[in-house]
Amino acid sequence: MNFRAIALPAFMGLSALATPAYADEQYFGYTYSAELLGKGQTEAEFWATDRRGKAEGHFDAQDYRLELEHGVTNRFSVAGYANLASHHIRNNDERIDRDFALRGLSAEFKYQVLSPFKDGLGLTLYAEPAWSRIHGGGEKGTELELEFKALVQKNFLDDRLIWAANLTFEPEWEKEREEVSPGVIESEWKKELKLEVSSGLTYRVANGWYAGVEGRYASVYPDWTHGLHREASAVFAGPVVHYGGKKWWATLSYQPQLFGSPSPTGGRELDEYEKRELRLKLGFNF
Amino acid sequence: MSRSGANWFTILPAAVAVVAPGPAAATAYLTIPAAQQALFPGARFVEHPLTLSDFQRKAIARAAGAAGYDKVQRVWEVRSGNSRAGWFIVDRVIGKHDFITYALALGADGTVRGVEILDYRETYGGEIRNPNWRRQFVGKTPGSTLRLDGDIKNISGATLSSRHVTDGVRRLLVTYRMLLANA
Repeated sequence: MNFRAIALPAFMGLSALATPAYADEQYFGYTYSAELLGKGQTEAEFWATDRRGKAEGHFDAQDYRLELEHGVTNRFSVAGYANLASHHIRNNDERIDRDFALRGLSAEFKYQVLSPFKDGLGLTLYAEPAWSRIHGGGEKGTELELEFKALVQKNFLDDRLIWAANLTFEPEWEKEREEVSPGVIESEWKKELKLEVSSGLTYRVANGWYAGVEGRYASVYPDWTHGLHREASAVFAGPVVHYGGKKWWATLSYQPQLFGSPSPTGGRELDEYEKRELRLKLGFNF
Repeated sequence: MSRSGANWFTILPAAVAVVAPGPAAATAYLTIPAAQQALFPGARFVEHPLTLSDFQRKAIARAAGAAGYDKVQRVWEVRSGNSRAGWFIVDRVIGKHDFITYALALGADGTVRGVEILDYRETYGGEIRNPNWRRQFVGKTPGSTLRLDGDIKNISGATLSSRHVTDGVRRLLVTYRMLLANA
């Protein structure tokens, strides 16, 4: 399926339909704010993430997300999204060239416990069940995920300085197929847990414009129900810029990996994670 | 960069620039003269711009729990015949993306007579123009608490706008008490 031919006109059409609005703006690329869409408000979001650089060979991957989110009440919103991916990998073990494949589908539920605008501290609980058919590293394989987040937001200086932090707990079940003997393939579900802490601080430098920094610590624990043994971890941090207008918003975040573990080369973990990520988010409310 | 990555990361911002509108334009609901006549019909207005020193601004912010943005507060003395009928003040508070400009009418004793929204640059949150919501301020005095979800009801879905206007009115009442009450 040629997703490029379908997705761009569809997205541009959706954009043209968008009527003025604001809500649920994401000031950061990787850290969610605790703000929520209001009752009856709908938002379309497009994400593009470019991941690049492994220890050896060539690796670049682009993750795309098309999302539609709706405010059911002023405290509860639901969303559904399609995830697409491109992978271009060349090393001694594999060669993958894939453009705009459907990677999977996800749903998202958010419930706001506390509002950052009137309760002093914002708190939103987030749940995201997901199915995917392509791993982040480019290999094909079925994966089920259940991602839980606690989204915290504190505004300072009359809402001009925004701090947000997320705690993510994400169990995954990955279906692995193995040829146990010639012609006999067995499959089993392997469990993995991803834990992530992210945080960002951004300041309103002009009307509508925010500039800040964000960082995150990501880690992976295989077979976690039998004890937590960390397989890999990495710390990313970098600048983020956000623009929120009357009808749309955009966020651009650059996240180089600062260090990771295990790190046989240069202090970074480059098996599970990449050298750097660049994420662009666009939101349209209607 | 790969073919696809390069294309999408360059096409999309360009696409957005084409389909998206420019910076938000203010929606002017009332001019200052129109707001003046709505709040004090038939009265005369004598402008007395209030230049605030840094010390005064800090003192007002501390007492009100909310800081203002302007060093010069636009203030009119309202005259009816030979006597003072009250004060008319134009102020602005921060909105989601831009400023909200509003007018506050005070009686000669500092009691709130009305609030009018002059321009508003957001789409959602415009419910603060609702007369019933603005009517909550009428009768408030410099001694009133003026807290959202306290003596002023919040507007769900417009929390930021309603909180900032409430904070702004409280700040102007403190400004009146400190600088205008004995003028």
